[in-house]
Amino acid sequence: MNRFWRINTIWRKELADTLRDRRTVVAMVLVPMVLYPALMLGSLQAFELQTTQLKQEEYTVGVDDQDTHDWLRHVIDTDLARRPGARGGPAEDLEQRVAEAEARQDGKRRGPPGEAVQDDVGARARVTVYDSPPDIRVKLVSDIPAAIQSEEIHLGLQLAGGIPGATDKPVQLAIIADETDFRGRIAQTAMSGIIDRLNRRLVEENLEKAGLPVTTIQPIELATINIASAERQSASVIGQIVPLILIIMTITGAIYPAIDLTAGERERGTLETLMVAPVPSVDLIAGKFVVVAMIGMLSALLNLLSIGGTIYLGGLGKMLAPGGGIAIPIHVLPWVLLLLVPLAIMFSALLLAVCSFARSFKEAQNYIMPVMVAAMIPAIVGILPGIRLTAPILVMPVTNIVILTRDLFLGDVNFWHIGWVFGSTSIYAAAAVSIAARLFGQEAVLFSDTASMKTIFIRKFFKPSDTPSAAQAFLLMALLFSLNYFLQIGLSKGTEINATFLSGTATILILLFAGLPLATALYMKVRIASGFHLEFPRFTGILAGVCFGLSTWVLGFWISELVQHWLPMPPEFAARAAALNAQLLQVNPYMILFCLAVVPAFCEEFFFRGFALSGLRSELGAAIAILVTAVGFAVSHGSVIRIPFTFAMGLVLALLVIRFRSIWPAMIAHLLHNGITTAVVHEELLRPTAESLGFLIAGESPLPPLAWRMTAIAIAGIGLLLTFLAGKHTDAHPRAQAPHGTSHTTPEAAEPS
Amino acid sequence: MICAEALSKHFPNADGTEKVAVADVSFSVEPGEIYGLLGPNGAGKTTTLRMISGLLRPTSGRVFIGGDDVTSDPNAVKRKIGYMTANTGLYARLTPLETLRYFATLYGIERDRADRRIEELVEWLTMGPFLRLRCGALSTGQRQRTNIARALIADPPILVMDEPTLGLDVMSNRLILEFISTQAEAGKAILLSTHALDEIERMCGRIGLIHQGHLIAEGDLPSLREQSGEERLSDIFLKLVSHEPLLAD
Repeated sequence: MNRFWRINTIWRKELADTLRDRRTVVAMVLVPMVLYPALMLGSLQAFELQTTQLKQEEYTVGVDDQDTHDWLRHVIDTDLARRPGARGGPAEDLEQRVAEAEARQDGKRRGPPGEAVQDDVGARARVTVYDSPPDIRVKLVSDIPAAIQSEEIHLGLQLAGGIPGATDKPVQLAIIADETDFRGRIAQTAMSGIIDRLNRRLVEENLEKAGLPVTTIQPIELATINIASAERQSASVIGQIVPLILIIMTITGAIYPAIDLTAGERERGTLETLMVAPVPSVDLIAGKFVVVAMIGMLSALLNLLSIGGTIYLGGLGKMLAPGGGIAIPIHVLPWVLLLLVPLAIMFSALLLAVCSFARSFKEAQNYIMPVMVAAMIPAIVGILPGIRLTAPILVMPVTNIVILTRDLFLGDVNFWHIGWVFGSTSIYAAAAVSIAARLFGQEAVLFSDTASMKTIFIRKFFKPSDTPSAAQAFLLMALLFSLNYFLQIGLSKGTEINATFLSGTATILILLFAGLPLATALYMKVRIASGFHLEFPRFTGILAGVCFGLSTWVLGFWISELVQHWLPMPPEFAARAAALNAQLLQVNPYMILFCLAVVPAFCEEFFFRGFALSGLRSELGAAIAILVTAVGFAVSHGSVIRIPFTFAMGLVLALLVIRFRSIWPAMIAHLLHNGITTAVVHEELLRPTAESLGFLIAGESPLPPLAWRMTAIAIAGIGLLLTFLAGKHTDAHPRAQAPHGTSHTTPEAAEPS
Repeated sequence: MICAEALSKHFPNADGTEKVAVADVSFSVEPGEIYGLLGPNGAGKTTTLRMISGLLRPTSGRVFIGGDDVTSDPNAVKRKIGYMTANTGLYARLTPLETLRYFATLYGIERDRADRRIEELVEWLTMGPFLRLRCGALSTGQRQRTNIARALIADPPILVMDEPTLGLDVMSNRLILEFISTQAEAGKAILLSTHALDEIERMCGRIGLIHQGHLIAEGDLPSLREQSGEERLSDIFLKLVSHEPLLAD
């Protein structure tokens, strides 16, 4: 039966089943539609009530001597006298002062726009109190700190050095406060406003007496002009909040169906019913994954709409963005919808993987909490101020989505970034889904009475197998993808290309692409010869490998020339590449050959065409295995310009391995390709020979002459012919003999598609 | 049809030791035959049935279903087996009709053929009155009938039933047993495990007595009577168990 038709049936049934569950519908629809508006508007009103009340309250400032008491009373009265409408103060002057005060407060209290919304709310309240202080009573007390602690006064003031204005010497005024007390802080802000205004008035009076202009003490008046529009400012605020909301809501929405469709099946006894049907667990999990991701997305969307509506209609926007309300950038909505996809994919896959391991609802909930907290850490990294979507962050799961959201909200649309984020997220999600498929329907999970969970992880319970499982292949590919990226980036940071750098690169390749798969295979008791396709091929296999090795390098130069033509490299890139190339030429040519040609050929083949191909093929069939390994191979090269060629190479090399059932033809082809490509551009190696034969080396990508290109096509054609002919003599791979991984546990997963 | 060869299943204990659930069990079931697996709780009946249906992988030994090895191609084998137990659950929020259609799709049956088959099963098992109610609201008997229909949806040549009448009332019990007999008469190979000795006595052509993972005796009722010198099946069972030297291990 058509596999997609089956998965289609599975997800439709799971969706119907899930939507009929009242608990899911309540969590998904009712909660966002009712709870958030109620919660937000409720807290908004409570907040307003509280601030109004605090402003109407009377505050008591304590002093410890009579002179200060009288002076302070006078200061407060005269300050209050200057308020408009109070006792006929000069209103125009005041307005200007208030504006200045506000500007000062703003400058002092607010960081870059949108960094701390909460602080904005507090700052606004404080600005108000600063400008128009509430009623303040002055009280004489003997011990100020004691009086503050007994809540007799809110704040204390101590003067030292005489009464301000009455002496020429500077006077010290200390504010004594308990800053953990909210009322104390309000009183403090109000008092600061009064003293600031007094100070300014005294300065102005003194200057006037001396006949000097105000500019004497303030020759420069600093003003900041923020070119960010109100919309951009609020986009920046929303851009940081929205991804977090989306993550939390996707998880909240997806948790219930994820548990219900995995551990729930086990608990209700339907898992056994399902496992007796002739369906590979990969298909079951794929169907369930679609539903969990859909519900996660839907739930996040409803929540977002509800929160957006509440902010927009409920007046919360004014609180969040002072001065003009929050402007919701409507044009970013499509981006939000787009970003929901990787988020839902990522978290649904993760949730399914965790829940597939659980035998009951309760167990699943226990597993989910720590995993989700761990998943929030990269999300928080993403909202760190100043973080950018650059090299290593670009593939950091979750973090990259959070930063991309912020950038998109600010209108910074970069399609490479979008591609990287979607691509890497898909790889991680595929790994998680295949883990879920691996765990789902495990004997230990299926029948708790019969087996211990240890059988899944402890080596002594593993049965030897001929190939790794698809899950192991995916998992290792995802792991290598990010490890390789981080290590290579770390290595290249600030280092010029020299022998140390090259041997470092080679070491990383050997450890990651050969060491790690080998260690995994040994631990999982995978037979090395079959798990890595190490069997020796027939002679035609070697011949086909040599044909490809002798021809693909010409085609490689040709294709990169074409790519260069259509997608020219930016000049700074080209300059950097030329500089690196110059550094490279300083290194011993045989060292270059070894590190850049020989080691990659062996190690990459060992992993991609060995471990990954045999693992993926055992469960997903040859076609998907070839395609997936080719994508992984292309992406792992990290160069956008080379992707078309590396992908094609990945296809050809995998085809060689599948047809000849051996990794050696691919290794030979890869080795020759890398070797010739490296040697032909090097002065001390093959370059003189190549040039004497008419091979042009100009600029970044040497262009092979037409005759060379035609010959190469012909030789590659012979290679292809040999490869396809090999398929006729070789009977179908006895896949049945090669159940994957710890095969004693899920026999059904070994089914071909 | 069903051929189990030296089946064994060991489960790892938490302390790293192994528990032998089934040891060296061999038997076969022919088309048209009802084979009864009889034994006390924990004897290894369910584990044996799960290995035969491809739910558990045998530690050693092999199972052939119509010539196919269960371990090497479990999904091909699953297509030929209708498996049900007293505990197999149904999706509470789906109706019996939806459940049957869903499983028909999982078995790769086209919609028209599936609908005809469902009609047939509904009539045989008199499921009409509750066909469109949610499974969660059904009685035990109705649920069990739905389960049997689900197991038979692909018209498999083999039925593996683990205590199919557990917890049923007399009426449902009778209906299901008669149904099983009809299926055997129609040529299906049926492997039945149960505690109910009278059911075995009445229905099964051959009986395998399983105790502590071992098949201690096998044969039709007259030959078991001869082996043990007892008349009633319960006495036969007790006699054979008490004489079984394997008990020591």
